[in-house]
Amino acid sequence: MLEIIKLKGISRLYKIGQVKVTALNEIDLSIEEGEFVTIMGPSGSGKSTLLNIIGCLDRPSAGTYELSQKRVEKLSDSALADIRNKYIGFVFQRFHLMPALDALGNVQLPLIYRGVFGRERRKRAKAALEMVGLADRMHHTPSQLSGGEQQRVAIARAIVVEPTVILADEPTGSLDSKSGSNIMSIFRNLNREQGITIVQVTHSEEMAQYGSKVVRILDGQIERIDKVG
Amino acid sequence: MALIRKFLTIFVRVWFTAKMAMQGILSNPLRSALTILGVTIGVTSVVSLMGIGEGARLAVIEQFESLGTNVIQIQSHHASVVFEPEYADELVERVDGLLVATPIVNTKATMKWRRAIGSVEILGASSDFPTVRDHKLIAGHFFTSLHVKQRSPVAVLGYNIATGLLNGRNVVGYTLTLNGQTFRIIGVLAQKGNGVADNIDNKIVIPYSTALKLDDKRTVSEIWGKAPTSLDADLAVVQLSRIIKKKLGIGAGSSGSPSVPTDPGIIEKEMLLKAAAGGYVVYDSVMPYPGSGSSSGSSNLSFIGEDIVTITNLNQLVEEADSANRVMTLLLGGIAAVSLLVGGLGIMNIMMVAVNERIEEIGLRRAVGAKQGDLLLQFLLEALYVSIIGTIAGIVAGVWGLGIFENLGYETAVSMHAIKIASAVALSSGLLFGVYPAISASSVPPIEALRRQ
Ligand SMILES: Nc1ncnc2c1ncn2[C@@H]1O[C@H](COP(=O)(O)OP(=O)(O)O)[C@@H](O)[C@H]1O
Ligand SMILES: [Mg+2]
Repeated sequence: MLEIIKLKGISRLYKIGQVKVTALNEIDLSIEEGEFVTIMGPSGSGKSTLLNIIGCLDRPSAGTYELSQKRVEKLSDSALADIRNKYIGFVFQRFHLMPALDALGNVQLPLIYRGVFGRERRKRAKAALEMVGLADRMHHTPSQLSGGEQQRVAIARAIVVEPTVILADEPTGSLDSKSGSNIMSIFRNLNREQGITIVQVTHSEEMAQYGSKVVRILDGQIERIDKVG
Repeated sequence: MALIRKFLTIFVRVWFTAKMAMQGILSNPLRSALTILGVTIGVTSVVSLMGIGEGARLAVIEQFESLGTNVIQIQSHHASVVFEPEYADELVERVDGLLVATPIVNTKATMKWRRAIGSVEILGASSDFPTVRDHKLIAGHFFTSLHVKQRSPVAVLGYNIATGLLNGRNVVGYTLTLNGQTFRIIGVLAQKGNGVADNIDNKIVIPYSTALKLDDKRTVSEIWGKAPTSLDADLAVVQLSRIIKKKLGIGAGSSGSPSVPTDPGIIEKEMLLKAAAGGYVVYDSVMPYPGSGSSSGSSNLSFIGEDIVTITNLNQLVEEADSANRVMTLLLGGIAAVSLLVGGLGIMNIMMVAVNERIEEIGLRRAVGAKQGDLLLQFLLEALYVSIIGTIAGIVAGVWGLGIFENLGYETAVSMHAIKIASAVALSSGLLFGVYPAISASSVPPIEALRRQ
């Protein structure tokens, strides 16, 4: 299979005044197209930092990163913005929906930065909302939606660009277990039916069962990698 | 093809960024309105204060222009320097730029109208007076050169006098007496309003010859001339000063070096033509030379350092007053513009708050593909919208306020100049004070923006 994510010797240092924090320490990790990977580890172990680097939201302090066979760690801010827009769909623990926009408006946002025109944009956003089962909630604003529904809007926003990889940082962290399972089923369907690669961070062994493998992280290093099932 | 695609992409981004900037303003209407009000107040004060200043300036110009355009006044300020009335014609002949000239007699007389008696100001002039002053008549006609020659007892009344006599009914053809002599009213002058140092509406104009007879005099101390253009007026002043210098016994063109007086009967002292301050000629004045006062005892020019004859180009008086008023108007505008800066600071303040509040939005936009430029543009446009709306509202309020002032009886003028200045300052301060918040919005690293609570 194609390796779409290939990290080699990735480190990430934070400097707070004189103190240096090593959030990631020489990580080597490869993820193949179509995988559903779960990252687990204690709080502060570097899971979010790793996900942000994979998502080109952050840059490594050292190491090389190939996304779809292209080196990206040295690209400009503007080029990274284009990569995020085209290849990556983010899902966050805190949803990060725009309160003033309805579901349809929120889902259209990435397409605006891609320059897709109005009618086409709405058509694609509707299709994405239908895929997460929110066809009847298109004109609801986030405050009119439950937590699980808000996260489904966020997933629709992630898949509307037809990304190669979805990155989800504790997507069920603010949800009850029923909504959480619902989100996981959606991820599993997207992964199986559309072949979208998924990398998620979770603290829950139950949610980890939806994926194909678990990467365990401790103190910024990969402790071990388990196959699920 | 790729180029068109790229252009369309940019178009969609900019269009939506502009739209989202507007949503940003609408998301907190009260706060935006208060910020806009700050700009509005600044623009309103610039537009209205400068409008009032401009109005005052135009009022002064109007007053001067009521004295006639391209008028040159030759005035003697000393009893020993007087002009024969015929000297006016001589000057017209000798000075190229002079169209006509009239001797002027200012005096007072006791007027009797029916049973009423009162004192009235008399202006003696030649038949050229209406030409010199650009003055029209509303009834009858002006006196002719024949009237002047024959010292006819004819009178042309100023507007206020004429309307006072018969409650506004036509007085032409009636008679009145001045110092006991009967005068026939042959015309009424048009209204001029309160002019500068001249109150023609309350005066009676009669032939200068008749006026001299009333006063028992033969000479005048004032002559008014008229030039066809303002350039001619400037040239005429130069020629007039040379001619009069010569007449007063000062060598032509030798203002620095003393020369032999040619007409000792009038003046025995060396004189000097004083150049006006400021490098350009406001008016020329002939004055005694301060260094040679004690050499001769027979002179009756007992004062030193004061003007004897002044040649005044009224155009230049207008220009002088006008430029002073212009400075005043600009000063008013400048003070008001400071409040525009305060409005700009308000924009900056509110934008900083907005950037902070919407840090999550900023992070999310970056995550889904917004570039730094997109966010810079979005927040800059928000600031610019505030200043544009504030400017438009300020112009409307300023013009409206000027209308109120106009109704209160002040002269005002909506000055395009003021509107341009106010808009330029408001918009550039919106840009200036919007840049920093916009830069700080666009330069937050996306992970930081998303982490912050
Ligand atoms: N912006 C930052 N500045 C300084 N230290 C940071 C920053 N972000 C993360 N860290 C540190 O890096 C380490 C890993 O953080 P993170 O990746 O968020 O952990 P996790 O998501 O596994 O809880 C932690 O020790 C955290 O304190
Ligand atoms: Mg985390």
